[in-house]
Amino acid sequence: MSKSNAPYWPILPSAIALAGIMVFIFASFGPPASSSGFVTLLKGFFLQVAPDYAAGKAHYRMMPGPGSWLMAFVLGMAIGGFIGGRSFGQPVTDVPRDWEKCYGPSRTKRYLATFVGGFLILFGARLAGGCTLGLFLSGSTQLALSGLYFGVVIFAVAMLTARIVYKKRSHYHD
Amino acid sequence: MTEVWIGIFSGIAFGFVIQRIGATNPQKMVLAHLMKERHIPQFMLLVVIFSAIGLFALEAAGGGTTRVLPTSLVATGLGGVIFGIGWGLTGYCPGTCWAAVGEGRMDAIFALLGGLVGAATFAQLHEALIPAFYMPTNYGQVTLTDWFGHPGVALGFLILLFGGGVLLIGRFWERQA
Repeated sequence: MSKSNAPYWPILPSAIALAGIMVFIFASFGPPASSSGFVTLLKGFFLQVAPDYAAGKAHYRMMPGPGSWLMAFVLGMAIGGFIGGRSFGQPVTDVPRDWEKCYGPSRTKRYLATFVGGFLILFGARLAGGCTLGLFLSGSTQLALSGLYFGVVIFAVAMLTARIVYKKRSHYHD
Repeated sequence: MTEVWIGIFSGIAFGFVIQRIGATNPQKMVLAHLMKERHIPQFMLLVVIFSAIGLFALEAAGGGTTRVLPTSLVATGLGGVIFGIGWGLTGYCPGTCWAAVGEGRMDAIFALLGGLVGAATFAQLHEALIPAFYMPTNYGQVTLTDWFGHPGVALGFLILLFGGGVLLIGRFWERQA
């Protein structure tokens, strides 16, 4: 295969573009973050169905609710992904190719795995104080040690996990 | 309300670019973790280099709002380990899964739902977990500037560190896209 990122954009101009967006966010709001968006969404939910619970939990008290930048940002991400996907020639898959090679084409199995994985990334991010964006990218941009430390750990553990999870390529025969 | 519009605009721009680079594609992310795809990790490091330079200039011009998150040896590390397991398993992170949902990936919807349950579970346990894991080894809002004494030197170090990372990925990750 080629050295380029095709059919996706080349990385150098894209990195400059995303950095420009990052700096715009620092100028117009503050450090960008996305795992916080989950908390603002949940806070909005609990403010409706169980206001006393939302008011009594420190994790919801420390976050703004719906109608905040954090909430708007993740919704915007979904819109941006939608526009990107619709204007892009490549079809999307519900089950990634390497997952299928190891565990077969079952959607149920893949959805269960991403549900569990989703649980872990948000639980871990909330414990650490942020995610890939809020802690690693934002933090490192601000020269924060927490961002660099988190970045080293998540890359190392994800690489190790992927080696274990995606190891048995011959396990499934199609 | 302005804040909401700025947030939505920023999100749309961010989500569009990460879709175009392939970061919302979990197949690509998994290959990156297996050292068979170099573009995503190199892209991430380059973004940090350019945005750190941009933020440095912005702050020199008197603009920008920053908020450095504290470093807790145990909580930041343990959170990173739990996060890394989920990231390696799925190929999604909290930001990319929103954009991937917009892109129409069904497995991302389940990652997002799992994420909501995960965040709600943590919020429920916050009062027990933060004093136990976060506070005892919390070193505060440490930055490279605290180490090097001068923000310019710290920025230079960051650029060398991440630039070195880009070169190492180019050296050790396979060329296949």
